[in-house]
Amino acid sequence: MTNFHYIGKEASRPDGPDKAAGKAVYIQDLQRPGMLYGKIKFSDFPHARIKHIDTSKAERLTGVRAVITATNTPEIRLGFLRDNFALKKDKVRQYRDEIAAVAAIDPEIAEEAIELIKVEYEPLPGLFSPHEAMKEGAPLVHERDPQGNSRTDNLVPLQFHHESGDLEAGKRAAKHVVEGTFTTPMVQQCCMGTAGCIAEFDMNSNLTVWAKTQIPFLAQRDFNRALSDMGLAGKNARVIVPTLGGGFGSGLDTHCYEYIAILLAFRTGYPVKIVYTRAEEFANLSPRQSSTTKIIQGCDQNGKLTFRHVEVLQDNGAYTSWGATYPSVMMMPATSLYRISNVYFNAQLVYTNNTYCQAMRGYGNPEFTWALESNLDELAEEAGIDPFDFRMLNSNKPNETTPMGLKISTCGLKECLETVAQKLNWKKRYKKGKHRGKGLASLIHVGGGARIYRSDASGLILKLDDFGNVNVYHGGVEMGQGLHSVLTMAVAEALGVSSKRVLINPTDTGTCPWDVGTHASRGAFMACNAAILAANKLRDKIFGLAEVFYPQEVEKNLKKLKKKNPNYKPPDFDVIKAARRENFELQDGFIFIKDGPQESWLRLELARLLRAIHFRNQGQMFTTEVFYDPPNELPDFKKGFGNISATYAFGTQGAEVEVDTETGEVKILKMVAAHDVGKVLNPQALKGQMYGAIAQGIGYAFYEELLSKQGKILNPNFRDYKIPRVYEMNFPIELEFIESNDKFGPFGAKGVAEPGLVPTAPAIANAIYDAIGVRIHDLPITPDKVLAALKKLKQTKD
Amino acid sequence: MKKEISFTLNGSEVTVTIDEHLCLIDILRGPLGQTGTNEGCREGECGACTVIVDGQAVNSCLYPAFEVEGKNVITIEGLQEPNNKLSVFQQAFVDHGAIQCGFCTPGMIMSAKALLDTNQNPTEDEIRDALLGNLCRCTGYVQIVEAVKQAAVQLKNKK
Amino acid sequence: MKRFNYYKPRSLDEAWELKEKIPDALFIAGGTDILVGIKNGELYPPALISLRSIPELNSIKINGGAHIGALTTISDLIHHPALYNIYPVLVEAAKRLGSVQIRNVATIGGNLCNCSPCADMALPLLVLDAKVRLQTAKKNREIPIDEFFKGPGETNLTPNEILTGIVLESPRKSAKAIFLKKGRVRMDLAIASLAALMEMEGEKCQKARLAAGSVAPVPLRLFKVEAQLEGTTITDKLVAEAQQLAAESVAPITDIRATKEYRRQIVSVLVKRALKNILGWSQA
Repeated sequence: MTNFHYIGKEASRPDGPDKAAGKAVYIQDLQRPGMLYGKIKFSDFPHARIKHIDTSKAERLTGVRAVITATNTPEIRLGFLRDNFALKKDKVRQYRDEIAAVAAIDPEIAEEAIELIKVEYEPLPGLFSPHEAMKEGAPLVHERDPQGNSRTDNLVPLQFHHESGDLEAGKRAAKHVVEGTFTTPMVQQCCMGTAGCIAEFDMNSNLTVWAKTQIPFLAQRDFNRALSDMGLAGKNARVIVPTLGGGFGSGLDTHCYEYIAILLAFRTGYPVKIVYTRAEEFANLSPRQSSTTKIIQGCDQNGKLTFRHVEVLQDNGAYTSWGATYPSVMMMPATSLYRISNVYFNAQLVYTNNTYCQAMRGYGNPEFTWALESNLDELAEEAGIDPFDFRMLNSNKPNETTPMGLKISTCGLKECLETVAQKLNWKKRYKKGKHRGKGLASLIHVGGGARIYRSDASGLILKLDDFGNVNVYHGGVEMGQGLHSVLTMAVAEALGVSSKRVLINPTDTGTCPWDVGTHASRGAFMACNAAILAANKLRDKIFGLAEVFYPQEVEKNLKKLKKKNPNYKPPDFDVIKAARRENFELQDGFIFIKDGPQESWLRLELARLLRAIHFRNQGQMFTTEVFYDPPNELPDFKKGFGNISATYAFGTQGAEVEVDTETGEVKILKMVAAHDVGKVLNPQALKGQMYGAIAQGIGYAFYEELLSKQGKILNPNFRDYKIPRVYEMNFPIELEFIESNDKFGPFGAKGVAEPGLVPTAPAIANAIYDAIGVRIHDLPITPDKVLAALKKLKQTKD
Repeated sequence: MKKEISFTLNGSEVTVTIDEHLCLIDILRGPLGQTGTNEGCREGECGACTVIVDGQAVNSCLYPAFEVEGKNVITIEGLQEPNNKLSVFQQAFVDHGAIQCGFCTPGMIMSAKALLDTNQNPTEDEIRDALLGNLCRCTGYVQIVEAVKQAAVQLKNKK
Repeated sequence: MKRFNYYKPRSLDEAWELKEKIPDALFIAGGTDILVGIKNGELYPPALISLRSIPELNSIKINGGAHIGALTTISDLIHHPALYNIYPVLVEAAKRLGSVQIRNVATIGGNLCNCSPCADMALPLLVLDAKVRLQTAKKNREIPIDEFFKGPGETNLTPNEILTGIVLESPRKSAKAIFLKKGRVRMDLAIASLAALMEMEGEKCQKARLAAGSVAPVPLRLFKVEAQLEGTTITDKLVAEAQQLAAESVAPITDIRATKEYRRQIVSVLVKRALKNILGWSQA
């Protein structure tokens, strides 16, 4: 399959026109008849016992329809370890803990009612760093585990551990060893559209939730469990996904506000909408975890890596989300970026009274790659080897298995490194004193799904109608990344219809088959693989029936033609004989016989064939369902072993920077990003993913940090939480895509949604080091950190 | 207190009774049902709510509704052309992949329009200055700047 | 959103009358700060008195000097046909205030009355020796702008007083000025900012004005630095001393945007760059 009609070509996204016209319907825009507005009363303390909640004034306020607390509603548990509650009863463990909620006829009344709720607390000592929380005798964030057993420490009971090879032998073999500790801050997803939902019950007590989610089916499971907790066992939650104003991982869990909307909707009997304000989004939606990574690496005299020792400590916050499994992804670069055989990896998550954290694009990989690729430059310098040569020497190769058991099928890492080096004119370095430098960093990421759940599958239904339209039902979520753009192309390509005939239906658990969720860069990989399977099944079915119906229909064509043109002499061609399923081809919505004569009457419109098959006695229509489960394994994270993904994406980014040594400001002169994407499905969409990811990488590198003091978020707004604007992205970005054509990838493609932001920060830090000789260990790289490091460098030189 | 105000919205006179403390975005998205204008921060930082008032781009989240009395307001809904056709600005965004989640898109397009309505040959710096008040988390802005450049060229060719 | 009444007086007299009636009402210009303050629960006025519809507050008059109505928007300053030629530093500062959307409604008077230590428009006006005109129904006064700022959010205005305009004298031909601003990103409240003006006669500095933002409770004139520069021949050494003096004259705080040490360092760097630029020694 090299001659593609759609794949690899520029195409604009199907939802583009509606979005450009302002007609896309986000959760903010959605209304339901009789809808009420919910609002949540959050805690006033980071850690306290709740002594009393007085809701009487709020209840009396005109326009309030319900006020709920943990005492007048059933207990609903949630969280990866089910350690969180929709509403808190005895104790609050973070500022954003939900104490009460109201439903009112308009948002202003709801807000007013919230202000009337009075809570009495008994403050408890708080823990605001994992180091504090790990001290002996530290107060406990959770006195009991979800099973009710007493807890004795603040460690999150999850293990992420890997040991392979012989670490001591690796250390002995090392001629050069470097060690470093690197930190990353909490950062926020900053979706332009804030989080929200509408919950609505019908009179059979079945629930519909319009949710800003990336996991509609896991959400359905969670909500069904909540229904059961509410005494509604056997009732169903249907999850419908409206247009998403961004995702970036924020939709990988169900959230307390969703359960609160459900409780309010059930109590009032009316639909309830909760949408976060920007301040609520910053303060009450889970960010990316902060992390501390201690890394020791060694290489032999030739520069070959001999061992890697990694310890990660993460501030989990007060409750667990899926994000508590970040180390499952960190383990991947730790064991598998560059060839290495002796590895120790251990990660520990700790409960604190900070805001609890969740997934964000890259899922542990940007945090860890920051440490790994910064430290690798230090090792290269120690060994006296150029950082590019050092990486080439240790580069991964195709068809090898890494210490974690990752089966690298295709690997374009060397090509990525070479491309970046060439585009950056790597060997030509700036003279000292110019304050200009170049740096690079690479990455490995899952590119073929990621089995972190029992199933990593994705179902898809194709339904053909009488007009030749292909209705697609897929459980994945379009959140802006372009899933529906490539899925449209994949269906058109694989089935053989015009992309204009491909209609993608809204994601809805009631109509779409199961999908584990849109995360881990798996959306396009899964959806397009499923589309190919479904299209092949459908073609087979169509071609089988075409053996009978194609000759009938083209005969009619011929008759018509002869009527119009009595002199027409058809070629000597036995249609009935040729009409065998293996001889048919379907392209652009027309069915014809491969290698047959090029007569127009032999090209039969698919819609006509479909109608012929439909409108007769014992007629048939075409709907095909597939369930694609990729060839990957659920790793054993305690042992740190298992081929988590069907294929792996690689990439290298290079940065050229100039540092103002008086102000500490870093100016990016140029970025180059070369990524092994398997195969470019849609250049426009792919570029968009990469540019956008690099912008987030720039934010991570320079600007972004969710600041908190004693658990309170200090910068819950865009005035003080800075993400790049158009001015900050004012430098050339050169993108290069390496097509390694992976055998597991749809049309050869790998998942690419996350890789673009993973190596950005370390590439920049390495360039800064090249420019001025200082190494920044802590993100973000702010000007004052650069100045302080320069000052320190000067002092050590003096 | 409620008061009645009248203004021109996308070429038509509208009269609406409003609470005095509301901002333009509230009456656009509420009683007037124009939900293309998005609320992203409500403090003038993100620009998702950008509309054009008397020829100037403003954040409708910080524009007292009462101040639009007698003024001419254009929102994203006012750009669309008859027979379901997108305007040059909108089409350029679609064609250049300048849209991902789309939440910032209407505001971004309104900022671009406000620029090109008064400056037919903007430099890249002028384009960046005009879009500085609009945050986008998805695209990295590259394709957005390309789209605005393209819209400028197309508008000139149209004339 | 907290509720309030909104008034649109057509004249100053009407505005003062309203304020008499509702003493807790706030005068509002562009509203870009006040409306955010109300949303965040920092302000809860019962009423806002908008000054936008008072024609006399919204004009720029140039004759010899200039009179800028307090309700002139930042964009109107930028796009005024003559202002840039006379007061380039004012327009340069205006261009760095917020975004287009903000500049289209934010006003020069509002920026001053909000009285933030980082107020971008304060600095050029300080170095231009501007005066502000403050009016009540009964009294009219003009004070030098450096007497206007009292503390963060606190001005010299009496309760019913309205800042109606800014008065500028015509600068000397020999005067050159510059505005420099550092934020975390391009569009930001300043971490530190500086306006500087010098009148040179040959090698000698006849007059020096420096004002720094975000490094003290109010936008700050650097009087000591000015005194040190005036009447001298500027040398590299003197610039270094001016930097030192500037860093000592400011009283920055550490907040989530920057540390006080960093702000001090930036002021010092900005002083050097501003002076060298004015002297034509280098690009800022």
